[in-house]
Amino acid sequence: MLALEREPEGGGWTPLSLGPRLARVTENDAERQLLPLLLGSVDKLRVQLDSASIDRAGKIPADVLDTARRMGLFALTIGEEHGGLGLPLKAATAVIDQVARSDRSVAVMLGLHAGLGTRGLVQYGSSAQQSRWLPRLASGELVAAFAATEAGAGSDLMAVQTCGRGVAGGLRISGQKCYVTNGGFAGLYTLLVRTPGLGGERAQSLVCIERGAAGLHVGREEDKLGIRGSSTVTLELDEVFVPSEDVLGAGGSGSAQCAHVLAWGRTLMSAGCLGIANAAFQATLSHVATRRQFGRTLARMPVVQLDCADMAARLYAMESLVRWAADAEAEPVRLEALSTLAKVLCSESAFAICDRAIQLHGALGFLEPTGLPRLLRDCRITRIFEGANDVLLVRIGAAALASPRSELTGLRCADLRGTLADVARVCAALVTEREATLSLVRQRDGLSVMRKQALLWTLGQAEVKVHAAIACLARATAESSRSSLQVAEHAIVSLAADASAQLQVARDARGAAALARAQAICDDLIADTPAFRSSAGSGAHTQDSST
Amino acid sequence: MNRQPDNRTRIIAVMAEILEIEPSTIHGAQRLREDLGMDSLGSLELLSVMSQELDLELEMEHALNITTVDEACAFVSRHYAQQHRAASAGA
Repeated sequence: MLALEREPEGGGWTPLSLGPRLARVTENDAERQLLPLLLGSVDKLRVQLDSASIDRAGKIPADVLDTARRMGLFALTIGEEHGGLGLPLKAATAVIDQVARSDRSVAVMLGLHAGLGTRGLVQYGSSAQQSRWLPRLASGELVAAFAATEAGAGSDLMAVQTCGRGVAGGLRISGQKCYVTNGGFAGLYTLLVRTPGLGGERAQSLVCIERGAAGLHVGREEDKLGIRGSSTVTLELDEVFVPSEDVLGAGGSGSAQCAHVLAWGRTLMSAGCLGIANAAFQATLSHVATRRQFGRTLARMPVVQLDCADMAARLYAMESLVRWAADAEAEPVRLEALSTLAKVLCSESAFAICDRAIQLHGALGFLEPTGLPRLLRDCRITRIFEGANDVLLVRIGAAALASPRSELTGLRCADLRGTLADVARVCAALVTEREATLSLVRQRDGLSVMRKQALLWTLGQAEVKVHAAIACLARATAESSRSSLQVAEHAIVSLAADASAQLQVARDARGAAALARAQAICDDLIADTPAFRSSAGSGAHTQDSST
Repeated sequence: MNRQPDNRTRIIAVMAEILEIEPSTIHGAQRLREDLGMDSLGSLELLSVMSQELDLELEMEHALNITTVDEACAFVSRHYAQQHRAASAGA
């Protein structure tokens, strides 16, 4: 039975096939045959992983890399014609989820390789480029890295300054890239650079550069809070020559290509969040089932039960949204939107789950040998990289207002009975409330809403939760176990309540006084800082009245 | 701030101020994305800030398809003329 229907633009209600698709684990023959084998391999890899040691050493051991190569974990999404496994995105998320349950550093390395690192080449590379590099990337002989971020261009990638100057036969590239994951040992780098000579003054292009290229300098490993086993370096480019044939796709298309590559990266990163959150949750369940206080186990205490149910609900929502995003693999615009929603939900939820896991372990959870502090540290970065969540939320809110149609346009609930009937009604009301709120804000604020950052952020929060609730409902329609349905129900009710509260804030434009107060407080605090006083004369700081 | 965009030069001056670039580097055929480094939401934000600077009310749905400097100038000029006429008629 389907929970949801969508009205196509041409009219006439048709069933929305989201439920069965979300519930299905395997998609094609390659996936059906390979995925169980791969997941079994990951289980064997887990035995070899000593995450505490990797964390202390700040490095993934060579024998772990060798095992990953032998198991085909570098080949996940590369086509079979190039020696890869040709797995769809959803199957790759299942593998990365499984790896992250054991070690987040290894999962980041493999996820980066399958997503940001190789996606540009797979999607936009010429036959010659693919034949040259993909077989070696699939075997793991080369590890892939992706370099977009710069000191002055983090979440704002349009501000990239690294520039490729047109010369005979190609480009000369100079600049600096930072926070390059896998960069310390990568054999192939895909870089986002400005190419004024290709497509426009501020046009960008993706280019491939091999390790060892003249003028490419790989910096020292960064000392990080978490995912300490992964490699993170700065790249210096000093007049690096890149032949024209190493530009990916049409020169000048880099920003659009980057959006697609990031969509893959965010989906795989969300899967890693799912894995780490699952590890924290399972550890918590084992602890509360056996830890006794006041004459009973923690699991018998209502407050603990609420926490555990909340963690289970968060996990259910994370997994549902990751699957929904991965299912949109063939539709780049949808994948871009859904992967952003999944990234925000999964990174925030994983951190909340790890934090709650430590709380439920009491003082024991504060000790490194439990592994929980490492999980918390390892997932902290996911709220920042591949788009800081606050920036993404503002953009999600803006996109919801700017887009006449979305995933939820025309959605309605079909005739549902049983456990899901109530939550289906909750979802239907939520979708209606969302559309009404967006319409009201558009009419009330016009284009000026694009300057109202706090309002866009609030709408972004609501968007994440509305979509997560719908993903949960769609998935739940295909669930048969009573416990899964209960978790789905708990997740939907919780997400809908949060989303509705945020939509209410957006409609009422509440919080204006608090925002004005916050701006005044912040202005005073900043004015008192030595950094501001020393730069005030230079005009480096300007007052911004945007709220 | 209320500046009358009585000509295209003034609109481009506001645009240059927002983008922190020299007005002389802005040309009509330039594309907001490839040439001026904005994505679709960035161009909406630009038009939004311009509407504030020029004291105009702009509707979002009509701004969505703007891709070049020329189109942005025409869009702002058209709204300014409409709103200026309406204000004059009201007075």
